[in-house]
Amino acid sequence: MAILVNRETRVLIQGITGKSGTQVTSELLDYGVRVVAGVTPGKGGQEVDTVPVFNSVRDALDAVGPVDVSMIYVPPLLVLPAAMEAIENSIPLVHIFAEKVPVFDVAKILSFARKKNIKVLGPASVGAISPGEGKIGSIGGPNPDAVFSKGQIGIISKSGGMCSELSMLVSNAGYGQSTVVGIGGDLLVGTSFADLLLEFEGDLQTKAVVAFGEVGGSAEIEAANLIKEGKFTKPLIVFLAGKFAESLPRDTALGHAGAIVGLEATMEHKIKILKDSGAIVAQNFEDIPSLIKKAL
Amino acid sequence: MKLYEFEGHRIFSKVGIESPFFVVCEDIDQIKQARKRLKFPIVAKVQVLAGGRSKGGGIKVCTTEKQLVDFAKSHFDCEFYGEKVRFIILAQKVEIEKEQYISINYDTLTKTPFILFSEGGGVEIEELSKNQPDLIRRIDIDPNLGPSKKELLKNGIPYEFAMRLWDAFWRYDCRLVEVNPLAPVKQNVILEGAKRPIGSRGGKDSIASLQNDKYRYVAVDAKIILDDSGLLRHRDLDVLPKGAISAVPTERELVAKQIDAEDYRGSAGSVFIELDGSPRSLRSPRGEAGGEAGGEARDIAILASGGGASLLVMDAVVAAGGAPANYTEYSGNPPAEKVEKLTKITLSRAGLSGCLVAGAVANFTDIYETLSGFARGLVQIKPKPQYPIVIRRGGPRQAEAYEMLEKVAKKEGFDIHLFGPETPISVACEKMVELSEQYKIRNMK
Repeated sequence: MAILVNRETRVLIQGITGKSGTQVTSELLDYGVRVVAGVTPGKGGQEVDTVPVFNSVRDALDAVGPVDVSMIYVPPLLVLPAAMEAIENSIPLVHIFAEKVPVFDVAKILSFARKKNIKVLGPASVGAISPGEGKIGSIGGPNPDAVFSKGQIGIISKSGGMCSELSMLVSNAGYGQSTVVGIGGDLLVGTSFADLLLEFEGDLQTKAVVAFGEVGGSAEIEAANLIKEGKFTKPLIVFLAGKFAESLPRDTALGHAGAIVGLEATMEHKIKILKDSGAIVAQNFEDIPSLIKKAL
Repeated sequence: MKLYEFEGHRIFSKVGIESPFFVVCEDIDQIKQARKRLKFPIVAKVQVLAGGRSKGGGIKVCTTEKQLVDFAKSHFDCEFYGEKVRFIILAQKVEIEKEQYISINYDTLTKTPFILFSEGGGVEIEELSKNQPDLIRRIDIDPNLGPSKKELLKNGIPYEFAMRLWDAFWRYDCRLVEVNPLAPVKQNVILEGAKRPIGSRGGKDSIASLQNDKYRYVAVDAKIILDDSGLLRHRDLDVLPKGAISAVPTERELVAKQIDAEDYRGSAGSVFIELDGSPRSLRSPRGEAGGEAGGEARDIAILASGGGASLLVMDAVVAAGGAPANYTEYSGNPPAEKVEKLTKITLSRAGLSGCLVAGAVANFTDIYETLSGFARGLVQIKPKPQYPIVIRRGGPRQAEAYEMLEKVAKKEGFDIHLFGPETPISVACEKMVELSEQYKIRNMK
């Protein structure tokens, strides 16, 4: 079953003729994903790796029929019009790969998406993979089988690198993944930890979820609240990174825009709330497989 | 990027928000000159990025030149809340009716901008919400439409002022705009300095605000945080570069930031935090127990990859008893040139005892490309690094990258230790600290 993406998912790529757009197209096709169309204004009529390119999302949908996901691979300042176009055309899931999108543009996109009942993953999201089924975005790169394997563990991280690092750890311990999702590390993101926990709750394949938390933000608190309210009932294992930063002054921003020292909850506060809710907090990253074993 | 108060006022003036007349001073001479343009009483305010200046004695109402000069002497070039004071502003003291509060910020939960307004102001908002929560009004803003006039008026929020603040918020890509205190003043109060014509600060349509709101509103303070991703759209904005954790950036922090400013592909060095053993920087538990003051000779240079992994790497180095010289990361498949530049900046520090290049298994970052950049940077470092270099990475073209690094190490005589994805990040970090300790012992002999 998995979440967000499966064998049937039909994908459109906006910005398909760019460097990262071209690369991701071939990676997806290699993984057996149904990339049905691409869009680059002014390049309609071309092809990228056998995928037809159109001038607009409307043109693409008219020609190839409905799609499930649009992936946005355009430069940061062009994300706003591209995402708005996808939302206007009611594509149910908009995945924004692009990084460094101004937060005001993100707020506009998310507000419009909410009104039209469209899901947004990202910005700055590496994508999502349901191993053996399909993937969206650049997760796993050209060689996803090196770290991902099919199984029962759902994985969530802001960071793309930690998605594969966690999956490798889990795979090497003999557990596979149902779906692995990189949600992006920006201040505002379309899909939060909590949103994904609700999806994983409804997914029969997923038996437990592992999440990589970070200093700053309130994602882990939201997750804890879901558990307390009984809306997420499967085991949740969380690893929190960025303890070192708590000796830095408040407001210091780290690698992710959302990782800001002192923003909302402190590390200690997060650990306590998570533990109180019944979530499992991993002291060491390498402890995660044994915690999964215990939890299942 | 957090702005100084005076930089905030400058942005406010672009959208027609009035501030008390002020002059920015960098030394005592300028203070003496500036005071001639104002009438006593004059408010002297130190310019630092930290909040709560009033509480810490950073704001003083002066009635004589001697008071001003004494205040300036006791603050210029001194530390205030851990920041060196480079600027003091002298501002006109405005007779205000009362102190209010207004801000626009993002809610990461509801994912919308929102306005907070309080009839009470002057103290920090955290305090306000604790002591007088009933005075606080909150309105969420649809970013595609802007604030609703009806809702603002219904909640007793000064409409004209709020709309101008909203203008500043979105036009300049702010993460936060805050005016505390916001001061309603009688219509006949003249805000300008002695020789300034009325209305010149307020912009051409400040008359409108006179008519719509019951009072005229003055931004007595200005706090603005700009969205770094939005800076691309505001290259002409007149703001001073800021350091990662203090108002004054170190040389390395400045040049590191420049790497991304010049090239949008991937990121390298956007966040570069120099940790130098001063009180606000990291110390390893071991260092503290030994009573060492940190400093350059015991530090490990860090070139981490990826926002998430970089945190894991830093935690692991500190947990193993190491002392990172810096925090920085590159990610999103940057070209080799960018990594080369970041390598040169990171390793330009004297007295390093190790260099750690570590990240998770990359999805789409070309490891050969980025580590080629590292190697090219490394060979340019003078004197030639003798300290141990630990690399832990995985992902596209990692095997080729390691083959290349082995050749470079052999040719140049570098002490490079390579670890692939089969070695946990924390183990590589422990190894780094261990090798660095051995290096220090060898060097002491």
